[in-house]
Amino acid sequence: MDRILILKGVGYRYGSHWALRGISLEIGAGELVGVLGPNGSGKTTLIKIADRILEPPEGTVLLRGQPIQSYKRTRLAREVAMVPQENHFQFAFSSLEVVLMGRFPRMGLLQFEGEQDLAVAFEAMEATHCAELAQRPIDQLSGGEKQRVMIARALAQEPKLILLDEPTSFLDLRFKKEIFELLSSLKKERGLSLLTVSHDIDLSARYCDRIVLLDRGNIYAEGRPGEVLTAQNVEAVYGCPVTVDKNPATGSPRVSIV
Amino acid sequence: MRRPMYEGPQKGPLRASRVSTLCLGLSVVLLLTVVFSLMTGTASVTWSQWWRLLTGNADASDPSRLVILKIRLPRVILAGLSGFALSLGGVVFQALLRNPLADPFILGVSSGSAFGAVVGIMLGFSYNLGIPVMAFGGALLTMYVVLFIGQKKMGMESSTILLSGVIINAFFTAIIMFFIATATDDRLHSMLFWLYGDLSQSRFAESALTGPAVLAGFVILYCFARHLNVMTAGEDAALHLGVDVRKAKLVCFLVVSLVVGLVVAFSGLIGFVGLVIPHLARMAFGSDHRLLMPVSALGGAIFLIAADTLARTVISPSELPVGVITAFLGAPFFIYLLRKRGSRWTGS
Repeated sequence: MDRILILKGVGYRYGSHWALRGISLEIGAGELVGVLGPNGSGKTTLIKIADRILEPPEGTVLLRGQPIQSYKRTRLAREVAMVPQENHFQFAFSSLEVVLMGRFPRMGLLQFEGEQDLAVAFEAMEATHCAELAQRPIDQLSGGEKQRVMIARALAQEPKLILLDEPTSFLDLRFKKEIFELLSSLKKERGLSLLTVSHDIDLSARYCDRIVLLDRGNIYAEGRPGEVLTAQNVEAVYGCPVTVDKNPATGSPRVSIV
Repeated sequence: MRRPMYEGPQKGPLRASRVSTLCLGLSVVLLLTVVFSLMTGTASVTWSQWWRLLTGNADASDPSRLVILKIRLPRVILAGLSGFALSLGGVVFQALLRNPLADPFILGVSSGSAFGAVVGIMLGFSYNLGIPVMAFGGALLTMYVVLFIGQKKMGMESSTILLSGVIINAFFTAIIMFFIATATDDRLHSMLFWLYGDLSQSRFAESALTGPAVLAGFVILYCFARHLNVMTAGEDAALHLGVDVRKAKLVCFLVVSLVVGLVVAFSGLIGFVGLVIPHLARMAFGSDHRLLMPVSALGGAIFLIAADTLARTVISPSELPVGVITAFLGAPFFIYLLRKRGSRWTGS
């Protein structure tokens, strides 16, 4: 499989505290990988390293075979897009304007959005089912709507890899499922690679091809959801007794707190 | 490609043609304001005198020629440049700090450059080089101190930066007052000048220096218009989208400090222009900086020329410092914004 992102022995620390240590991880083309782990296990740090918001002092990060440091910011943004956990828009932009911001890395210095940019933006908004929100001010949208607009913005960058930092954290049941359905369809239809960080064990188990279970900055287990999400692993990492069975409807692992 | 129906002509993304149309319209308004301002004043100039002046038939000793060309014109030009620069600075600061209450005056950059200029005068520097350089230095120093205080590990804390700006502003204003109170030096051409902003002593030489610098500053800042759009969503968000945030911030802060520093060196502390005008522009035209920057800058020029015309006519034959007018109009507006919107601006 073609590999988009490779992390080799990556470590990152805040002051003297190592948030991540010895992380080696590969993300293939057209793969949906879910990172799970308790609070403070290094999930967000990991995703920030993948977008070079943080530069690790240890290890190497390769993006499409090249060291990630060798990318200029705009070039990086053409390969990797990020859907952040929280978005605060202080000024009134319409949803369409926000999605068009995704065209930033693909436009010249003094350029205005052309037909091509508009077409890409509308296509992205249709793919994420938010085209009808185009004229609505971004700060007046509900959590689920906003998240879809932010994913559309990521798509407008036309990246190879999309990183999502807890994309479902503020959403109710239906929207959680919708977002994961969307991610899964983006993977299948566009061959995109996706890396999500989430607290949602069951949904990650159902939709991700691979699960990475983090424990205090180390990879505790990695592999297919059914292999990684055993009662033993989840108990050890989350420090909470659980049972794991199969979801009768989908057949994916189901974790229940005891 | 299927085009959804909600793409109205007005509501679609910004087009270059819209920017140029609006700028052209505002330039016409600016021109009319200039003409009106030149025609208005304590000394009356008759139509026949105007005619002689425009056709180049006026005597060098004609008093109306003196009033219009030597007194009113330089003053109008400097007022326009000051309004342009302060308003532009306001837009850029608001985007960089992601806070609609930021402007060069509130952030202390204006008083910092006034401080630099006053020190320059005390040291007997020349008006053409030394004092502008000191004013720029004062503006930069203030910017640095304010950002340093407000700097957190994970980026800028905008409310802290604003508060430190307010404090620095008070501090420098106190120092300037101290200088004024202790100096009997006639090089201080007007006491009120530094504290309230005064354009009555304008000379052509000042505009000849300020004009090109302000325009160059605008061109540089305008290259960052799209960066600023993206940065209003936060620094991390801007990084995700491919903005070199460090570089963009550095260039923008530097250029605004330079432009504001220059203007303040010659016009004193004129407050609220950088706050009121960008707000009105945002309300009318939205948040895209490719439109917001030129519109605010031109609007600032129009506003300050009008305010200065008012300042020199309202209690004619005496004059008010223009800062009195802008503060008189701007302070209630600021309070209104604070009450209405808090530190958040959502427009619509």
